[in-house]
Amino acid sequence: MNQFSAKVCILGDFAVGKTSTVERFVNNQFSEKYLTTIGVKIDTKDVSLSGDVTLKLVLWDVAGTDRFSGVEFAYLRGASGYILVADGTRSRTISAVRTLKEQSFDRYGELPSVFLLNKADLTREWEVSDEDQRRLSEEFANVYVTSAKTGDNVTAALGRLGEMIAERDFPKTQ
Amino acid sequence: MTFPESVRSYLESDYSTQRRPFCFQIDSDCRVLDWWGDADNYGLGGLTAGDDMVDRAPFLIGHLGADAEKLPFVTTGNGTVEVHIFPEGDRYFVIVMDASDEHRFHQQRQQTANELRLLHAAQQRLIARQRALIGDLVEAKTELEHRRKEAERANESKSEFIAMMSHEFRTPLSSIVNYADLALEDDTSVENIRKSAEAISRAARHMNRLVETVLDEARLEAGQVRLHETPFELNRLLDDIATIMAPLAAEKQLSFGIYLEDRVPEMVVADDACLRQILINLLGNAIKFTESGGVRLDVSWADDVLRVAVVDTGPGIAIEDQERIFDAFERAADTSAGGTPGTGLGLTITLGLARLMRGEIDLVSERGEGCKVTVMVPAPASAETPAEETALPEPAIEYRAMRPATILVCDDDEDLLALAEYYLLRAGYGMLIARDGREAVDKALAYSPDLVLMDINTPRLPGSDAASELRAKGFKAPIIALTASDIRKLDMKTFTNSLRKPIQMPRLLARIQDHL
Repeated sequence: MNQFSAKVCILGDFAVGKTSTVERFVNNQFSEKYLTTIGVKIDTKDVSLSGDVTLKLVLWDVAGTDRFSGVEFAYLRGASGYILVADGTRSRTISAVRTLKEQSFDRYGELPSVFLLNKADLTREWEVSDEDQRRLSEEFANVYVTSAKTGDNVTAALGRLGEMIAERDFPKTQ
Repeated sequence: MTFPESVRSYLESDYSTQRRPFCFQIDSDCRVLDWWGDADNYGLGGLTAGDDMVDRAPFLIGHLGADAEKLPFVTTGNGTVEVHIFPEGDRYFVIVMDASDEHRFHQQRQQTANELRLLHAAQQRLIARQRALIGDLVEAKTELEHRRKEAERANESKSEFIAMMSHEFRTPLSSIVNYADLALEDDTSVENIRKSAEAISRAARHMNRLVETVLDEARLEAGQVRLHETPFELNRLLDDIATIMAPLAAEKQLSFGIYLEDRVPEMVVADDACLRQILINLLGNAIKFTESGGVRLDVSWADDVLRVAVVDTGPGIAIEDQERIFDAFERAADTSAGGTPGTGLGLTITLGLARLMRGEIDLVSERGEGCKVTVMVPAPASAETPAEETALPEPAIEYRAMRPATILVCDDDEDLLALAEYYLLRAGYGMLIARDGREAVDKALAYSPDLVLMDINTPRLPGSDAASELRAKGFKAPIIALTASDIRKLDMKTFTNSLRKPIQMPRLLARIQDHL
């Protein structure tokens, strides 16, 4: 069995559900309580890929912001991919994702990424229409409508990211 | 500045107590070489030289470069630390220090700020929703106000209609009452009785027309009128119209004429009854409101569309009245003030019938310039001969029975029975009477009359059921339905024919003769 590690950074505005998404993915748990992340919170999760390969995702849950400052750039160094997270009930968090993605690209180049439009369990409060979602799918590759609360699409999205990282960084394993 | 040993030792001790530093040295493959400090505090206890530190210290991934790095607030399962990485040749020195207190302070401050921002965002959403709701409320209020005004207007129109109908009924009713009293006086001459009867007949027919008009409008509004398109002779229909309208125009000393273009086909396919009513309504209105000059009907035909235009030299209709003149119970302001009688339903019915025939109405008029109403309806030419003379007025008839026959009359109205008895016996028919449907079935089966006149709304057994039962038991003679309801609802497989109430005895006798 081949085992590899990859650092993945989770980026997005505050309170969009980054920490909850990691908690759902790693521990299959969810808490309604909102707790601000300061700095970075690191967790790991093994993802099984085809060809008897296991990829250890080292998930760097970076403090929420709509724009990186100097200190936060340091957290991104050495990342193999990004998980971009926005909150469907606050359309402005999509703009934050757009900015963060551009800043990351400028500093570290193009990396595999998935876009999670989170809080699918609150669609009645959404500010993002079906038409907005269609446009997002054209702008971002790999858009997933997720719910950290119910777990909808979380594993699928992160599994897809794992596959993309493996294809890019460990091509012989595929 | 040189610290005395006591101060230096205090600072070192305090810093060491507060931050609890742990240092380790790794090679370029991230394998630990040696270490110093409180490893257990960071979950790094039990280290052995050569251990791979990637698994135990994942914050190293991606950060072993050429420059020194500082990672503030790195939270793992063992708490929050501050990490410093110093490259030294092909080795790295890593210092891990406790940052829990500072992290807690920053988190509390940031948590408060973020929660305030979330509250603000929620507040903005509520304000936006509130604005949308207010917009909806304003729109709903406007719509309600509009509907309230419409309802008030409809209510006023209906009140006016009731007042008008009350007036319209009182006049003929008064004639009926007074002439009936006159006829019943002991010393009234035969001539006076005959004149009274004629006056009563005229008044009753007028009342009947009023009721029919209102019922026609109600049927149209309820969508109960169905088209019956058959080939018919247009000239005959126009002859009938001339017969009805010319005397009315003559009474007012108005000229009257019907003008046909040469290319109008002899036979067309349309609902002749609807077209007849449209023409009677339009011409009747034109004659009613025209005091001098004349009324003309122009008939033309092209591309399978029949065009009939009623032109008069009456007072005309003001532009502002032209739209609502087709609404139920509405009349032009000055015509209602002028006291011209009528229900105000004629044009509404005309428009309804034209639409039913998939046609259109066009009105051209100005105040004082007369009026031209044009109706265009689809009416393809036909080479066929008419199947029957539907809706044409009954021809003059001889009331006497052509052959001996017994008529069974079933009705619970004693007056109608008495009238039928008088007319049928005078005409030479034998007569059987039944006052309910059950009695009618029994007598019809017992005495085999030559024809049955069956009221539909009879006690004990409804007329329709009685007729069905008779048919089921093999009764073959004609059964003619008498009804005040819509005759189109009757099952014409059971009934041979029908007559609408109120019954006019000459028509009844003619209908009987048709089936004997």
